[in-house]
Amino acid sequence: MGLGGLAATWLLTKDGFAADMVKPTLERPTFDLKPKPPHAEPAARAMISIFTSGGPSQIDLFDPKPEVDKRNDTEFTGDLKLGSNMAARNSRKLLGSKWKFRRYGKSGIAMSELLPNIGSIADDITLIRSVQTFNSSHGPAIAAINTGRPLRGRPSLGSWVTYGLGTESQDLPAFVVLTDEAGLPLDRNANWSNGFIPSIYQGSVVRPREPRILDLDAPDNLRGPAQREWLAFLDQFNREHLKQHPGENDLEARIASYELAARMQVAAKEALDFSNESKATKKLYGLDQEETREFGSRCLIARRLVERGVRFVQLHNAYQQWDHHSDIHGRLPVMCRKTDQPSAALVKDLKSRGLLDTTLVHWGGEMGRLPIIETQKPIGRDHNPNGFSMWLAGGGIKAGHVHGKTDELGFRAIQDSVTHFDYHATLLHLFGLNHRKLLFERSTRQERLTDGQPAKVVNGILKTPIA
Amino acid sequence: MLFPGCSANRHEIDVDIPVITIQNTGSNFSQISIIGGCDLRILRCVLFIATLVVLAPAVANAGSPRTFESDVRPIFKTHCFQCHGEESKIEGNLDVRLVRLLVSGGDSGPAFVSGKSGVSFLIGRLESGEMPPGEKKISAEELRIIREWIDQGARTARPEPASVDQLIFTDEERNFWSFQPVVTPPVPAVKSTNRMLTPVDAFVLERLERDGFSFSPDSDKRTLIRRAYFDLLGLPPSPEDVDAFLVDKRPDAWSRLLDRLLDSNHYGERWARHWLDISGYADSDGYSEKDRVRESAWKYRDYVIRSLNADKPFDQFLTEQLAGDELVPRPYRNLSDADKDRLIATGFLRNGPDGTADRAVNQDIARNEVVAETINIVSSSLLGMSVGCARCHNHRFDPITHVDYHRMRAIFEPAYDWKNWRSTEERRISLWSDAERQLSEDVDAKLQQAASERAAQIKQHIAEVLEIEIAKLPPDVRKNADIIRDGVLNRSRADRTPEQVAILKKYFALNVYVGTLSQLYAERYQKELKEHNSYIAKITALRPTENFIRTLSEIPGKVPVTYRFRRGSHTQPAEAVLPGGLSVLTRGEPLVLATHSELKTSGRRLAYARLLTSGQHPLVGRVIVNRIWMHHFGRGIVGTPGDFGSQGDRPTHPELLDWLASHFVRSGWSLKELHKVLMMSTVYRQSSTRTEMLDAIDPDNRLLGRMNLRRLDAESIRDSILAISGNLNTTLYGPPMPVTADGVGQVVLGTPKNDREGRVIALKENAAFRRSIYVQARRTLKLDMLATFDAPTMTPNCEQRNSSTVASQSLLFMNNPELLKQSNVFAERVVKDVGNDVAAQLRYAWRLALASEPTSEQIKRSVAFLLLQKKLAEQKITELKPEETNKVRFANEPDKQALTIFSQFLLSSNAFLYVD
Repeated sequence: MGLGGLAATWLLTKDGFAADMVKPTLERPTFDLKPKPPHAEPAARAMISIFTSGGPSQIDLFDPKPEVDKRNDTEFTGDLKLGSNMAARNSRKLLGSKWKFRRYGKSGIAMSELLPNIGSIADDITLIRSVQTFNSSHGPAIAAINTGRPLRGRPSLGSWVTYGLGTESQDLPAFVVLTDEAGLPLDRNANWSNGFIPSIYQGSVVRPREPRILDLDAPDNLRGPAQREWLAFLDQFNREHLKQHPGENDLEARIASYELAARMQVAAKEALDFSNESKATKKLYGLDQEETREFGSRCLIARRLVERGVRFVQLHNAYQQWDHHSDIHGRLPVMCRKTDQPSAALVKDLKSRGLLDTTLVHWGGEMGRLPIIETQKPIGRDHNPNGFSMWLAGGGIKAGHVHGKTDELGFRAIQDSVTHFDYHATLLHLFGLNHRKLLFERSTRQERLTDGQPAKVVNGILKTPIA
Repeated sequence: MLFPGCSANRHEIDVDIPVITIQNTGSNFSQISIIGGCDLRILRCVLFIATLVVLAPAVANAGSPRTFESDVRPIFKTHCFQCHGEESKIEGNLDVRLVRLLVSGGDSGPAFVSGKSGVSFLIGRLESGEMPPGEKKISAEELRIIREWIDQGARTARPEPASVDQLIFTDEERNFWSFQPVVTPPVPAVKSTNRMLTPVDAFVLERLERDGFSFSPDSDKRTLIRRAYFDLLGLPPSPEDVDAFLVDKRPDAWSRLLDRLLDSNHYGERWARHWLDISGYADSDGYSEKDRVRESAWKYRDYVIRSLNADKPFDQFLTEQLAGDELVPRPYRNLSDADKDRLIATGFLRNGPDGTADRAVNQDIARNEVVAETINIVSSSLLGMSVGCARCHNHRFDPITHVDYHRMRAIFEPAYDWKNWRSTEERRISLWSDAERQLSEDVDAKLQQAASERAAQIKQHIAEVLEIEIAKLPPDVRKNADIIRDGVLNRSRADRTPEQVAILKKYFALNVYVGTLSQLYAERYQKELKEHNSYIAKITALRPTENFIRTLSEIPGKVPVTYRFRRGSHTQPAEAVLPGGLSVLTRGEPLVLATHSELKTSGRRLAYARLLTSGQHPLVGRVIVNRIWMHHFGRGIVGTPGDFGSQGDRPTHPELLDWLASHFVRSGWSLKELHKVLMMSTVYRQSSTRTEMLDAIDPDNRLLGRMNLRRLDAESIRDSILAISGNLNTTLYGPPMPVTADGVGQVVLGTPKNDREGRVIALKENAAFRRSIYVQARRTLKLDMLATFDAPTMTPNCEQRNSSTVASQSLLFMNNPELLKQSNVFAERVVKDVGNDVAAQLRYAWRLALASEPTSEQIKRSVAFLLLQKKLAEQKITELKPEETNKVRFANEPDKQALTIFSQFLLSSNAFLYVD
């Protein structure tokens, strides 16, 4: 067979200039989780997101509206469509907050009496009161704030960050998801899906109770040398097999995944076992109280994971636990009691360990709630994606700061609004990543987290603004 | 699919890639040319670009001047047409659909000045980001193309039509490769004729030879038989199967093997899985959290298996699924098996998510979503087009209009009439014959009679007992006996007179009722009750079980008008629309409705089925053969099996695709024939080993200079483990094995116990060991074992599966109790089959799991491993306290432990998980 065409050309380059060949551009793309340098000096090295899906009521928690309190129980006469396109099914009666707001810390940020502990970290956080996701249904809004677009099938934030940066720990998953003992959130694992990027970037679920990772423990008869020898024997055989299949990335990846699994058996076990934490730490997270124990355990695990080099941790609540269409007066305090102390403890604990500067903490969901009554008995509020609140701390975020503003009734953001894509551009910036440059090639298009939307880094919330 | 060649500098790739101008010429490879003997830098660059071109969806075509139709219109179509042309109100009175209209301009004057992009209004608006409004902006590259077009004189490819409405599609759009009729191309000549076994080989080899390549060597027979078994059956060959094939020296041994596999019932189970993926089959409704179980959906799954095993001609298979109900005479009673199948087949159109049984959801939205999801499934599975994109407006990239979408909707709306919705219960059809129905009615009558007889009997007993009690009363009370009888026997408690109430209150024993009978006259009462109950049971047993099927059909004579929905919203109906296919193919002509003497319904779906299966449809045949190809080779000739449009991949071998599509139709739409043609080829029989040279040019193996290495899919992994351990239950058909979440949230086989701990009632062992296609497919619950290996969630269907490699899979092989159990069963089987000779055990286990023969070196090392494991197990025993030994598995059986752990090793190896 005579060689011609591309084959001949290749031989020529190989024989003549093998040492100088630029092989990488010709190889199949390989994907791994090794640490990768960001585009610029990063402020944040890790992120913990407390994702409060369902729509926590900002008007009762973070964004006081004295005007609504004053006009409580009166008819709203303005255009409801301006307030929310979901507003049609609501009453027009304004509903003031049942709870008092207080000014917390030196910064004097006003937050609800329902959140005294988050109040106690007011001087460490930036509270954004002007977040917008534009979608008044949970599914699309969750997708928007967690994947960049109100569509299913896109990679989640954790997938993008670990795709861009890899992870510091090769013994633990790069992206860990901590789910609630009461169940999975809306849209379940779409919340931590890798979408169209390789599956090594998908979130690994750590379960809310033991066994926190399935199949992590070897059974008694295999534990110890038996399994070690087994892995060694398997590794040797798989490597022989690989030798007969040169260049097969997937075979290599699987050999590596056995190695990771073996390391995880030790490392994940150690990371997830917080029994040796001090009594004071456990008390800080509320592990001594029934109401806070479960959520507190997950916050503590989140800190332990980040401490050990995990890049991205996301905590989820169960299905629509913050979605208070009815009985907001009964159900909202329950969620606050569950999460207030542990969330604040996480920030305090990270700070005391010197980790807060490099760990971005996020607390927020996909939407907020309306200032009017939706259901009378028992009273509830409907969705509002047009101006809601979330807070960030650490990882290069300004401390003791309030950003953005909603109108006097709290229908929508009117100043310094922060869209979900602004938030994404900003968090990538904190990681030293440029949202325009962090991209993934698909066959016919380049994909980005911000996906061509007019995203801007929110300079006003950065400790070190962009010059 | 990924773009290879991008990993090294993926952050800068947005600079690198767009340099190559992509022009559609219909073929990927036709313009690759290579310059020999040049400077190293150029050479490297050439190689890099050549690689990209081989892999890019289209080919570079620089130099020719830009035209509106080829270059600019697609950009405008994507970003501007909707507001500036297509909608009734034209923004700023500027219509951008024709150059002529751009020149005459809108409220702000002409849109551009020919030759001067710098002063053109249009460019200013685009550049400033004012247009298009909203989140999505045009890219710098697109802007550059528009500028160049203006600067080169704003050419059109040809004179523009007089009216913009005449120009629904440009010639460029009509001429797109996948819309062209399939013509049988001549089989090309090749140099290496000795490698040419089938025409398939000629097409692939000719392309390889153009670049100086040829096929890789043939695989050895062991590799071939394993490949064929997994491809056709999804199961491994047994050692006996392998031996028989190895000793078969007849020249047609391979062909005979394929025939045998194609005749196996497991073939239908394997290939039904592929069809169920694309048709979105599920045993539950999805849509909302409720995810109601679909009781008889599995009959459609069985229909698919049966049809494939029978090699039902694919045109018939499709017609039945689209319009089987219109082939069966009404009323649907006393059905033949063939007619039953035709009705069950329409389950295809009922596969999509359907939230209408959940009262908590908005019904109008949910109903219209069912129609939309059905269109998504039909179009992605049969047309390879994302027609769903045209639901709200004209398709942004492909020539599919908003009206086209609704023409397709009109095909299905008589059956899915959202204003006269029928529930699942109303839609189901009973398979009772008249005789069975009569029998059932007889049973009902008998039961009714028995019930009234029993009631009379009880009444009589009560009267008897009452007389006894009356006799016990003091005489002055007894004189009211008639009043008492009337109160107890004839009146309900509420109807009694005050006098009756008073007496019954005072003399409590007079309150005689059924309960009193069972207490006071227990023996006699129990005996009668037992007799009665056994009679009821006997009669009831005569009633045939009502056997329902899940179908789609229409109500005769009821044909709702289909309206185009503005922006896809059912609340904004516009003009009425008639049923039809994609107008780029049909030139907008409406569907010629099907009729036959028995047809009582609209005939729209039947007509559509005839259109698709005419053998002339440019998409259907290509799409199907491409899918079959994909399942054999790991990648389709078109890499995007669900998108044959402009955003999808172009075929790597367009002539081959057409040859296969026409061959498929010519050979009577026989899938088995198609498998045979593909598998008899040298292309299929090649070794999968990569070579440095091929990898450098074609790392994704698009030219098919070798076979692809593939990971087993989820079902094949589970089924093979069961087959290897000897546990596999090969029962065909029937209701699915139920799945449920256990107390810790793992999804396992079984039914919930509904206790606080969330325990699970496991299936009886053998019942849990059936093939995975019989695992209940809940949209919200995926069996962990399958989900871990990328079994898809149907939302609404799955066009192509992922194949992931994650640590949770490794942990499963290391520690999963079910996997360990099967390893143990496997080890026991080995001992049972070959006895206690260690070397024989190892060799046999190896042959069972990997279908290959271990080398003597491998045997030697395995024996050492076994001894080591045995020693470790013995050591462990000495470390255990006596009371612990019964808690640890195999504590007293070190030999068993060692062989089990070896079996587990085989099942966890890449040699098992991948097919060469």
